[in-house]
Amino acid sequence: MKRKIIKKFFFFLALIILMIEFIPIYILLSTSFKDNMTIWTSTSPFQPFKPTLEQYLGVFKETPFTKNILNSFYIASMTTVISIVGGSMASYALACLPIKRKKEIATGIILTRMIPQISLAIPIYLVMRSLKILDTYTSLILAHSTFGLPYVVWVLIPFFRSIPKELEEAALIDGCSRIQLFQKVFVPLASPGILVAATFTFLGSWNDFIYTLVLSNVKTTTAPMLVTTFWGMYAPEVGKMCAAGLLIIIPIFLVTFVLQKYIIMGLTAGGIKG
Amino acid sequence: MKRFLRIFVILLLFLSISLAQKLPYSTTINVLVWDDAHTKAVATLIPEFEKTTGIKVNFIALPTRSVLEKAAIGISLEKTDYDLVAVDEPFVPQFGDLLFSYNLWPEGKVFRKVSLNEIAEGAVKAAYWGGVARGLPINGNIYVFIYRKDLVEDPKNKEEFKKKYGYELKAPENFTQLRDFVEFFTNPPKMYGFGPFTVKAEGVTCEAIFMFSSFGTDVLKVSGDKVSLVLNKDKAVKAMDYYKELLKYAPPGKLSFGHSERIQAFNTGQIAIMFQWPALIPNHIDPKQSLVADKIGYILPPAGPERRAPVTGCWILGIPKAAKNKQAAAEFAYWWASKENAKKLVDAGMNPVRKEVLADPEIQAKRPWFAINLEAFKYGVSRPRFKAYARISEIIQVYWTKGISGEMTSKEAIDAMYNEILRVLREEGYAK
Amino acid sequence: MQNKLDFTDRSGGGISRHLFDNVIFLGPTLIFLFAILIYPLIYSLYVSFHDWKLVSTVPPKLIGFTNYINALKDPLFWNALRIQVTFILIAIPLELIIGLLVALLFQVEFFGNRIMRTLLLIPFFVLPSLSGLMWRFMLQPRYGLIGNIYYLLNMEPVDWLSNPRLTFLAVILQDIWRTWPFMFITLYAALSNFPKELKESAEIDGANKIQVFLKIILPLLTPAIVVACFLRLIDALRIFSEVYVMTEGGPGHATTFLSIYIYKNAFRFFNIGYANSMGYMLTIIALLISFYALSKIYKEELS
Repeated sequence: MKRKIIKKFFFFLALIILMIEFIPIYILLSTSFKDNMTIWTSTSPFQPFKPTLEQYLGVFKETPFTKNILNSFYIASMTTVISIVGGSMASYALACLPIKRKKEIATGIILTRMIPQISLAIPIYLVMRSLKILDTYTSLILAHSTFGLPYVVWVLIPFFRSIPKELEEAALIDGCSRIQLFQKVFVPLASPGILVAATFTFLGSWNDFIYTLVLSNVKTTTAPMLVTTFWGMYAPEVGKMCAAGLLIIIPIFLVTFVLQKYIIMGLTAGGIKG
Repeated sequence: MKRFLRIFVILLLFLSISLAQKLPYSTTINVLVWDDAHTKAVATLIPEFEKTTGIKVNFIALPTRSVLEKAAIGISLEKTDYDLVAVDEPFVPQFGDLLFSYNLWPEGKVFRKVSLNEIAEGAVKAAYWGGVARGLPINGNIYVFIYRKDLVEDPKNKEEFKKKYGYELKAPENFTQLRDFVEFFTNPPKMYGFGPFTVKAEGVTCEAIFMFSSFGTDVLKVSGDKVSLVLNKDKAVKAMDYYKELLKYAPPGKLSFGHSERIQAFNTGQIAIMFQWPALIPNHIDPKQSLVADKIGYILPPAGPERRAPVTGCWILGIPKAAKNKQAAAEFAYWWASKENAKKLVDAGMNPVRKEVLADPEIQAKRPWFAINLEAFKYGVSRPRFKAYARISEIIQVYWTKGISGEMTSKEAIDAMYNEILRVLREEGYAK
Repeated sequence: MQNKLDFTDRSGGGISRHLFDNVIFLGPTLIFLFAILIYPLIYSLYVSFHDWKLVSTVPPKLIGFTNYINALKDPLFWNALRIQVTFILIAIPLELIIGLLVALLFQVEFFGNRIMRTLLLIPFFVLPSLSGLMWRFMLQPRYGLIGNIYYLLNMEPVDWLSNPRLTFLAVILQDIWRTWPFMFITLYAALSNFPKELKESAEIDGANKIQVFLKIILPLLTPAIVVACFLRLIDALRIFSEVYVMTEGGPGHATTFLSIYIYKNAFRFFNIGYANSMGYMLTIIALLISFYALSKIYKEELS
């Protein structure tokens, strides 16, 4: 009996925490369905209002949102592909091949992930400029891979390490080459890890701000950059900001729900045994 | 099984595609401009320009602050990512040496080279640095005051105002009247007199310069390479105190008022009077986003105790010295500023800089603030113009904000502003 | 034959074959990182030793450590560093405490536990820049959430973003809102892995809840706490976009974090030599912390 009451109490406590935590998200959601006048004359975010799709129509019609979100999608996908291909091979090598100074190399690669982007943004700009690829997808994909690649290595080393040696030996005796072995045995076995790494690399690129700010102009600008222009400029477009903002985080919501099991692993990058 | 290889091939394919996209065309020009109603209007007509000239225009319109950043990293003496670039007035000195002087710009093949005589004088001044015009002035922004005409014409208000202040209610001519005006219309929580600009940005520097000049003091005196600090502290303190007085009659949130906040507050009918850049006025007269669209009057900024001081905020179009496509870039600038084009662009929302367009009665009927805009140029005041402007502006913003918010007294704030400016002048080698 | 050879490689021979594999597997990543990351980093070091201005007709001049010395003499650099440290010292412990308490709360199997846990993850995945914009909107004294609250209480709304302390507080709140769920979910995962018998046996021994927590759970949880705090610390060192869109470092210099100050020097004052020298110092701080942490926390994975 007492236990039941405690459970009920905890349920309500958790519910309250959840509600407080979701106030900003609720405001984002509700504001995106209000027209400008309703937003500006609001006396409470919880007062009833007549929902309108005006802001969404505005986002699609008056701004290059569609193009920008496609840019985001393309850049994030390509970043993920590069990071996963390069990173999984490298982490396999660092985990399973007999390499001298393995530990130092691994530490070095992972350390590069810790460098604050602001310190890299300017020199990367100068490098991209000398390669004449400013404001191209390539430049952003490469820049985003600077945090994607080390991250993938970081996540995958423990995964590859945990694969039993006997499997590898058996496969080699069966006549596999290293590359075949990697493809046929290691990649499938590490696929949960690869999924985690891919998800977070994608999100990292999707959320990037600094590199896009410095490297892109109109052509390759991403959706998050567009959202920041809805406010602080001349017209106060809070409604559009919320509408576009919501559209940008919807993919993230979906990922959170579908992959929640793996997310914890990804967040701590193998630091905690899951 | 072959998945990996396949991914790899697709990857290579994509990479090569995205690399191939970036081959430069000789007939394309890169144009970097700010993003607002003006440039949006221009953008709509670019296909027409491309058809007539065969020049393909890569029109890069970015938020104001990004324009500066992109220009700074993208332009040097040897290299430039842009053939034509918009430079905001206070940054003309900084970029000046990198820009091709206007009198060397080639004649246009399709459009006539614009004579600087055709452009409002205040805007032309903005293009000059070191005695040379560094580009073509293109956007004639200058302080214009907008006020609620309907409230001023209301007989009940007229009567009450007369009783309280002893003179007729009208749009304020000077700072004394401005103070009475904003006090009279303040009636919280629905209505306030004054709409300030206080969010940390160039706008704050403009407000500070507006006040300082109105009270008769400049911040810096620039002659040639010599820059000296001439801020009269007593006058500056008075100016700040006056602004604080106006702030009493500003709406809640008055200390973080930027463009968005001001437009929103004015459009929802909460503000009686405030300055506005002409380029932004279209936001106020759009009935879709303004409750006061047909209730606005336009006047010159009220005169301060010493002078009338509308601050200028012009943009010029410059051609970097390193640009390869100077001819095509100039052609585009001439087209943008041409008389033939002006009417179409004005209809699309552009704020012109040509005298004859601003003065055209037919156009003025549709855009009543054009007359004031032109008139204001007679009194134009510009922000300090020299190479280390950005650092000075930052200091003005910081201490002006500290002073008007009460974090420091006016005297402390002005003293600190003075000392900091002096420190930067020393660091930059202008003062000992 | 070849494969057999390859197999024997594992016990020592056939260096060239190994080399081939190593190059194939590790080469691309190392080359990539060198070209796009290490090279820019070295270039940045080179820039930091110069009086290097963007938008200038004067070529960069080698000035040795002058930029570094100037930074150490620059009160605004120290101000930025102080803000950064204060932020870290306030925000991370608060996030940790909230996250830990909620993680403990969720150990009880109440109705809706699973779905609520999932929902709580969402804020952490909201883009920092969008989060900053949302908070700026909510803090609008006239039509934002905070304004509405003041009106409800019949008070004159306070403008948070014009008050240095409140703005700093707002940035912290924003960060806490977005990242305590991260602490929560990591600690929850760690807690869930403890064997049930552990707690039960302790309870049978007559220890009360608080004793159980302090004596048994907390020590076992420490590694997870350390990892979570380290990851947050690295993120907190590079906090940029949310502040950039929320306050632009103002009012005054109240929220000018190091990243913001570096950015300003580079792109407002165009002094990239100076900006790079500060960027380098920030990098070194981040790398030292990370190196220490990696060699302590992750040594098992890396050895």
